[in-house]
Amino acid sequence: MASIEDRRAQFTQYKQDVKSRGKSFYPYAMFHDTVMSLVVVSVIIALACVWYFTSGTDPNTCGGKDSCLLGPRYSEPADPGTTNFVPRPDWYFYFLFYLLRIFKWPNTVILGTVGIPTILLIILIVLPFVDVRRERRLLRRPVALIAAVLVVISMGVLTYKGATAKEALASEVVQAVPTWAQRQGFADDKDAVAGATVFATSGCTACHTYLGTGSSNLGAPDLSAIGKSGQGPNFFSTYVADPSKYGNNVMPKFAALGQTKLHQLGVFLSESKGPK
Amino acid sequence: MAVAPTRSRKSPRRQKLEAAVNYPLDWLEERSGLIGAVRYFLFRKVPGDTNWFHTLGSATLTAFLVQALTGAILAMYYQPHPATAYQSINHITNDVTLGWLVRGMHKWGASVFIILMFFHMARVFLFGAYKYPRELNWIVGVMLLAVGMLEGFTGYLLPWDQTAYWATVVGINLNGTAPILGPFLADFLRGGAEIGNDTLSRFYSLHMLLIPGLIFALIGLHLYLVVRLGVSSPPWSREAAGGGDYPAAPPSTNGRSGLTQPTARSGWRRNGGES
Repeated sequence: MASIEDRRAQFTQYKQDVKSRGKSFYPYAMFHDTVMSLVVVSVIIALACVWYFTSGTDPNTCGGKDSCLLGPRYSEPADPGTTNFVPRPDWYFYFLFYLLRIFKWPNTVILGTVGIPTILLIILIVLPFVDVRRERRLLRRPVALIAAVLVVISMGVLTYKGATAKEALASEVVQAVPTWAQRQGFADDKDAVAGATVFATSGCTACHTYLGTGSSNLGAPDLSAIGKSGQGPNFFSTYVADPSKYGNNVMPKFAALGQTKLHQLGVFLSESKGPK
Repeated sequence: MAVAPTRSRKSPRRQKLEAAVNYPLDWLEERSGLIGAVRYFLFRKVPGDTNWFHTLGSATLTAFLVQALTGAILAMYYQPHPATAYQSINHITNDVTLGWLVRGMHKWGASVFIILMFFHMARVFLFGAYKYPRELNWIVGVMLLAVGMLEGFTGYLLPWDQTAYWATVVGINLNGTAPILGPFLADFLRGGAEIGNDTLSRFYSLHMLLIPGLIFALIGLHLYLVVRLGVSSPPWSREAAGGGDYPAAPPSTNGRSGLTQPTARSGWRRNGGES
């Protein structure tokens, strides 16, 4: 650790060096800055052009092509009533998005949602107060070098995982309903089977897993044996309608499903006592 | 401040012309000092071995200015109401002349801005440029990164399509998990029990007034500190940059202190101006 006097002396030296040997910002450094800025603006314009000319006015098609190179111009209009849309943030939040799958709800999910981002922010802010050595050459700062490599790798992996995470399609999940009914033994209960179909098609499996189907997005719990707790269908249907009433502020409200479907869902969940 | 050049080989006609050009500059300088400030900014010395890595900061600034400009144009057409937002986005993209370009630049410029912020930050970290006396500027930069990502989050809702809506539902619910403050923050962002009209106008206001204002202010502070403290030299530089064994610079012949000097107040012409 260099004393503050040392660091002051070094900075004074730097100021003198730059004064005597430095170059004028204009035009030398400004030339580089201008060239780089033109490159940036060109890249932005190029991205906008590729995005526009490889997509169509219809949100679902891309001008007759199978998929848009840079995504569609917009998706369907927002509809709070639909429940089978898989939420997905912009790409620079993917790493956080994927972190949430690592932590399980409800005990450790706070770590993923708030804990790790806060810790990262604090580390960044205190960095210049922790690393007070005068040394700036990278090869003589092994800790900083290793930390940088690890951060880049983990951010890259998390972003990639978040980008490629498979979301279960309702049309695929619904095919598993007969298997569920058989394994859980509620095949004779019409309400439970109907509830299983609601479960499969309403986007529940975007966040929950059930007998190996679905993804544990946001660290939401596995529901294969949720009915073991012994709470009846009414508990589950009111819970799903408004989870915040039970202190769960992560899960969205599903009141839009309507009373019938909520009841069926409640029967299905209370009958899910784990595979026999 | 009279203008008359002392050694006058110039023709009377040229003298008159110079006087005419200089008069407004002198007028402005005398009343504001702005000409001196601009001169100081342009002609300040930077280390002789700055390189392309040092352009990432100004590149980030350029990306932000693109966002500000295209955002201002989008605001002329966009209607922040759940009933009309999607239609207005559709109208901008498909009908307005070059509307697709403005929206496309804003949409993709956001990603470029975020990427450049990370690259710029990586450069500063790898060059050890956050060290004394630039700690404060590092912190301002970290704040800009956080606020910039918040700008991305609030802007994502505005097209009011399914992608936007459901990402925001989850995003707000995640805020809600924070201990103590979480539920309040979620309620504040939502502006009610459900995501709707109030949420959209709230996000719109945050996205185009509050957060950009904050970003502009932080960028101003960031640049002020860059100019005041000087551009850091690369770690391998001779300019007293990195290690403990840097070679001593030749003694400065300039009598003035090498430490930070405030903006040249002594008249712009004496400070490296013409003749």
